[in-house]
Amino acid sequence: MNFEPRIVGFLCNWCSYTGADLAGTARIKYAPNIRSIRVMCSGRVDPVFVVKAFAEGADGVLIAGCHPGDCHYQEGNYKALRRYLLLKRVLPEYGIEPGRLRLEWIAASEGERFAQVVNEFTEQVRGFGPMNFKDSLLESMKNDVMIHGEPETQATGEQR
Amino acid sequence: MKRIAIDPITRLEGHGKIVIFLNEQGQVDNAFLQIPELRGFEKFVEGLPVEEIPRVVTRICGV
Amino acid sequence: MKLKIAIYWGAACGGCDVAILDTHEKILDIAAAADILLWPVAMDFKYADIRRLEDGYLDVAFFSGAIRNSENEEIARLLRRKAKTMIALGSCAHTGGIPGLANMYGRDEILDRVYRSSESTVNPEGIVPEERYMAGTDEELELPRFYNNVRPLDQVVDVDYYIPGCPPASMQIYSAIGLIADDMLPKKGSVIGAGDRALCDECARKKGEKTINRIYRSHEKVPEPETCFLEQGFICLGPATRSGCGSRCIKSVIPCRGCYGPLDDVKDQGIKMLGAIASVLEPKDEKSINAILDTIVDPLRTVHRFSLAASILRRKKA
Repeated sequence: MNFEPRIVGFLCNWCSYTGADLAGTARIKYAPNIRSIRVMCSGRVDPVFVVKAFAEGADGVLIAGCHPGDCHYQEGNYKALRRYLLLKRVLPEYGIEPGRLRLEWIAASEGERFAQVVNEFTEQVRGFGPMNFKDSLLESMKNDVMIHGEPETQATGEQR
Repeated sequence: MKRIAIDPITRLEGHGKIVIFLNEQGQVDNAFLQIPELRGFEKFVEGLPVEEIPRVVTRICGV
Repeated sequence: MKLKIAIYWGAACGGCDVAILDTHEKILDIAAAADILLWPVAMDFKYADIRRLEDGYLDVAFFSGAIRNSENEEIARLLRRKAKTMIALGSCAHTGGIPGLANMYGRDEILDRVYRSSESTVNPEGIVPEERYMAGTDEELELPRFYNNVRPLDQVVDVDYYIPGCPPASMQIYSAIGLIADDMLPKKGSVIGAGDRALCDECARKKGEKTINRIYRSHEKVPEPETCFLEQGFICLGPATRSGCGSRCIKSVIPCRGCYGPLDDVKDQGIKMLGAIASVLEPKDEKSINAILDTIVDPLRTVHRFSLAASILRRKKA
């Protein structure tokens, strides 16, 4: 059975989401694995969104923004870059392959490029295999159970 | 064999229980002090920056 | 009508209990308002005394310490049944605390280090604690199960209120007990005995424009006495941490490590702080950014010093 990665994409409204839209209108085929979320700016992407995506079942996360210098809000994409680079260092400490997170600059006119990035990234994440965060957490907790059962409602008062 | 448990032991810091076994004559056959706690500081301090250690290991005991 | 309360500890250090005792003469007010029916650090009640109570008999149970083993969970559930209100006291019960750092490892690694490989241990047979042990015929001993994961209290039982801090400031505990005695508790699930805003609001240091080009470890330079730590390049979790502690670490000239936990509606205190750090760094190109990030040692366990077990990912992936 072939594993189909689930990729969450945070795409900035002005550049990369528009670029993705262009890929659509130009009928450029790209992997259906990406679930796109439109944010106004890549700088809106709180690292918590990335972590939450992984925790809720994403196998890969893509953040796409305007090319440096072109951010609609001047500096948002620089913040995104710094957050991304910091997250890349923290994810392996959590035991998550840093390659599961990717940042790309994709302009509004770059429909082809969007498709190419999504296709490439999907294959890369396919290679990593499923994240299975929830399953691995449950697995780590499977023996964390009380060994004397639920405490009784009314005790007899005798010492055990 | 009768079993008496003092659980928990009190008026000190930490967890403990004392289990005493008495024979038929009511004499103490065996007695044990058990410490049912472990947090693993010895392991999780590994790799922490050395200047942070005093702020971490002070949480071994708050008394 | 006196309140009936229990004060208990899971994987704890006793600091929260000492914080209650550090209310000094005010402990007499507490004793006047409440009958304490369990408090292992100070009073000789046993688990059997709690087991024989009716469900809901206690008004409040204060639980400090994290859930590290099956006994911690058992007593947490027992107290949840026997008490109308369950309060997570201190950082460990609130967000896992310092013991939560053990979530970077698994049970076997910890047992091995503690009982076998640590340098000062003499254990030639490599014995580790067992859940059941026959000490003689008819003499069975039991120990709780050491869990693979550390959990804060609310991952195990329904928690009504949280009093954060490592330890919580004594006067904050006193005010929280006052709220209970006067029946003025806010809505269920609230953090009490702490502020609504970030520590920066309480901190007396001067805050200006943040343009950071390097992160310093606390021994790498002497901090200027009046300027914000973060501005000087020291990682300080103030921006991501709830106020209410009296900024006692800041006043002791060390930066905040986040023991008062996250602000309302924040799902992950440490990851939130990562976003804040990234925001205040100066450079805009990958090479310079990476050069600064190289100066941040141990980012995960710094931003999650007290909150790893309560973070979204909870532990290092096995």
